[in-house]
Amino acid sequence: MGAILVAILVAPFVVSLACLKVPLVVAKALSLVSGAASFGLAVALVPSHEVTTALSGWLRVDALSVVFLVAVTFLYAATAVFAVGYIQPGGGAAEVRYSRRFFAGLNLFAWAMAMTPIVNGLALLWVAVEVTTVVSALLVAIGDTDGAAEAAWKYVLIASMGLGIALLATMFMYYAGSTVLGGSYELFYSRLLGAAPRFPPEIVRLSFGLAVLGFGTKMGLVPVHTWLPDAHSEAPTPVSALLSGALLTVSFYAILRFYQVTVRAIGPAFPRDVLLVFGLASLVLAALYLASQRDLKRLLGYSSIEHMGILAIGMSFSAPIAIVGVLLHVLAHAAAKSTAFFGAGNVIRKFGTKDMDRIQGAVGALPLSGPMFLLAILALSAMPPFGIFRSEFLIVEGGLSTRATALSAVLIVLVTLAFFGLSWYASQTLLTPTSDSVAPGEVSPWMAGSMVLGLLALVVLGVHPPAQLSGLLERAAAELGARR
Amino acid sequence: MTGVELDPVEIQVLQDLTILVFAPFVSGAIAHLGARLQGRRGPRVLQPYYDIAKLFCKETLVPEEASWVFLAGPVVAFACYLTVPLLIPVLTQYPLPLGYMGDILGGGFILSLAGFAVALAALESGDPYAQLGSSRAMTFGALIQPSILFVTFTVALVTATDLPYFEAAAVRSSLGQAIAPAHLLAAVAFFLVVLSDTGRIPVETHASTLEFGMIDEARTFEHSGPALALLKWGAAMKQLILYVILINVFAAPWGEAGSRQVGAVLLAIPAFIGKALGVGVIFAVIDNSFSKLRLFKITEFMAVAFLLAVLAVLVLFLGAR
Amino acid sequence: MAALGTSPSTLTDAADVIALLVLLSEFAMLRSSLSRSQVRLYGFQSLCVSVLAGFVAATQHIGELYGLMGLSFVLKVIVVPMVILRLVREVRVDVTASHRLGVATMVLLAIVLSVFGVFVVGRLPVHSHSLPILALGLAAAVILVAFLLVIVRNDVVSQAIGFFSLENGVSVASLVLAAGLPLIVEVAFLFDLLVAVVVFGLLMRVHQGRSRTLSTRALDRLRG
Repeated sequence: MGAILVAILVAPFVVSLACLKVPLVVAKALSLVSGAASFGLAVALVPSHEVTTALSGWLRVDALSVVFLVAVTFLYAATAVFAVGYIQPGGGAAEVRYSRRFFAGLNLFAWAMAMTPIVNGLALLWVAVEVTTVVSALLVAIGDTDGAAEAAWKYVLIASMGLGIALLATMFMYYAGSTVLGGSYELFYSRLLGAAPRFPPEIVRLSFGLAVLGFGTKMGLVPVHTWLPDAHSEAPTPVSALLSGALLTVSFYAILRFYQVTVRAIGPAFPRDVLLVFGLASLVLAALYLASQRDLKRLLGYSSIEHMGILAIGMSFSAPIAIVGVLLHVLAHAAAKSTAFFGAGNVIRKFGTKDMDRIQGAVGALPLSGPMFLLAILALSAMPPFGIFRSEFLIVEGGLSTRATALSAVLIVLVTLAFFGLSWYASQTLLTPTSDSVAPGEVSPWMAGSMVLGLLALVVLGVHPPAQLSGLLERAAAELGARR
Repeated sequence: MTGVELDPVEIQVLQDLTILVFAPFVSGAIAHLGARLQGRRGPRVLQPYYDIAKLFCKETLVPEEASWVFLAGPVVAFACYLTVPLLIPVLTQYPLPLGYMGDILGGGFILSLAGFAVALAALESGDPYAQLGSSRAMTFGALIQPSILFVTFTVALVTATDLPYFEAAAVRSSLGQAIAPAHLLAAVAFFLVVLSDTGRIPVETHASTLEFGMIDEARTFEHSGPALALLKWGAAMKQLILYVILINVFAAPWGEAGSRQVGAVLLAIPAFIGKALGVGVIFAVIDNSFSKLRLFKITEFMAVAFLLAVLAVLVLFLGAR
Repeated sequence: MAALGTSPSTLTDAADVIALLVLLSEFAMLRSSLSRSQVRLYGFQSLCVSVLAGFVAATQHIGELYGLMGLSFVLKVIVVPMVILRLVREVRVDVTASHRLGVATMVLLAIVLSVFGVFVVGRLPVHSHSLPILALGLAAAVILVAFLLVIVRNDVVSQAIGFFSLENGVSVASLVLAAGLPLIVEVAFLFDLLVAVVVFGLLMRVHQGRSRTLSTRALDRLRG
């Protein structure tokens, strides 16, 4: 099993380097293969009941890691498919060079994100998240427009500052550990978790607060979300999909690792309050902002903030069933948001603009991807039979089971509000009559085809999740639980 | 070794006299050195004595509208400057009887009272420049107050009293105490306070004739004769008093008399004057190496002093744990 | 205070003074209106941090920290300032003050933040062997002031310097909290910083290439 981890760690990196040298067709093929292979390897880890380690303990995968690894690699595979259609350079040497760089960056980005749940220990976790920041900042800027430069600068500055805080959180956690484990030790999860009950509570509290603030910056929690809509709207669409579906969730994974230690050390009360504040703020603000967007990709960016808020609130319920819901939500959101971004990419290519006022009748213009885009939006708004419906249902159920009735009600109201914002704009752009100037037809079969993957996954997650996946989620939830 | 011992009261009087007599000398020395640094020959070192003597021989002119405050101001200020040396360690390491009468804050209050009296007298004169000077002096005086307060807090935290004698004793007690960060910060902050309070660059030019840039200097425009002499003398004494606090409390509280013997006490006088001249050299060099800040930038200078003083307290806060 | 006279040795006092210099240079960066002097101040600050690392290495006998000290010296005292200075020279734009607030207001705000940081640290039950607790308080202050620096200045050099100095603050904090951190982790951190520097440099160049200036005033198109 350890070989799988090494393979996931090596393959995308090698492919990324290769993309700079080989012809574009080969680069595309390599990316496709690497994406599919990574996903396959990640899925192979799902049934495993024990913790897998490799490279003398520096790589470690438990059920929680596998959940996020599956989400990241699924997106990697789907985005590779989409990118094959999205990147169609003309003859110019500059465009070809751009395309090569793009694929190299895409693979490197996926590599960094796949690394995050694999590495063992809070310190390497931080390093991996920081690597995702720098790679993705370059990918946001790769378009070389004014908007891209601005978004990339804001992104790298705000995210780096946030990660500075996260590093401080790591240092405090190290100090908390050193009071029990002695002056010099690796920040491995198992050691931390074992010693956690004897950590000094004040330090753990501070560390967790800083970690939520710091990694929350990358996760897009309000009020430290400000880079997110810009970066999502200005990045190339495949990058936006990866940002939203995978990057935000691996940042959430980092918070969960801190959560795990914190809950063992001081119980669930404090982390619950912190996550609740951030989650509610995100949900409220996103629900309001969703109602006033002009830019299609910004709209989806705010929807990401909304879903990150739901994740935080779900964790704050800290009931096992709610945590299962949260983890399912991670998977379902990754599938739904990437599909929605792919749909947006199709629409934007077709109409040549991101401005929703100038996009009319996309369903008519795009016979396949148009309706699929609509379905993705509905899935994002937690419509059955898609996975997000099931996951939000579980979260609310968990909330009710812990007698957080009022909070659950607020959650439902805000999600409904967000639903109105999202579906109003979607119907404006999708369901209006198509003007005659736009000839119906798909932009690219690859770009449309990539959406099928996400929708399939959503239906599977929503209708009947495989038993092994449910088992995985329950094991992961148990790992996060407060019971010692 | 036995010798004649001085009565503490006598020493106290001697402290006052030292300040009174040598203040114009230090001022003159700084002015002379400043001129030398600029490549001029400059006034004689003893020039301030001649100025004061000359002014005492002249008649006093009072503006028509001015009341008794105009003449009382300089006298009150001078009296204040005579009082402060009773409270601070000028010549001795051990506290003198009146040393317990007031702490650093008390001394600060008396100095402020002097400033207030001068400002009132200046306002009374009706001269626009004098009024401008008073208003500025009071404004900047108020702005520098927080720094002085925090320096006092630092002293109080280090010694558990805010008597200047004890701070000096703490500094003398070990080299470590002398380079303790809190002490260093407080000393630098107080140095900036002295720069500002003695009207030195970068806050004010001492020798300028341009009224618009003036702060302290403008206040004495309408005074003449003995009143002006008292003001000038008082200004010199204030400067020396601040030097005393800087040297004997913060920077270099070494060389004062440890006993009451005549020899030791008398020896402390040249030692003290030497240290004061040393500080004077630093001020003269600063005076000639920086340019004056624009009036509205002076707040930045005050902010720096305040920053250092606050940091000193913070350092103590964490250091005490 | 009676306790004070006995406890701190001259050595820790010296460490305290160096940590103070780190904070004071942060304030100076906040105040300084020339990008060039800001970069030099950053170099000085990094030098202080390296010296602190060497101090901890010497007093705690942690050999790895010497390597870390050397690495951070080369990187943060020489390479980063050189790269940014060259960028500033190339731009040839009059890069001057870009304060959004008056200097005195800014300094007062920063003082308030520092006091907050120190008091928060003062309430923590941290007992470090490597450095006095004061260094941690000052590191917290540096981090908060770095945030202020990034917020109130609007040119890319100041903002980048703000981030780098934030990292310096975290370095000082980690010297207090985690002096025994394994070398591999430390190297990973530094490597990451290196990458971040490259990315910052690249983006600064992109920004300058697009807008012919280092000011961020033009960066306000994306809103809502």
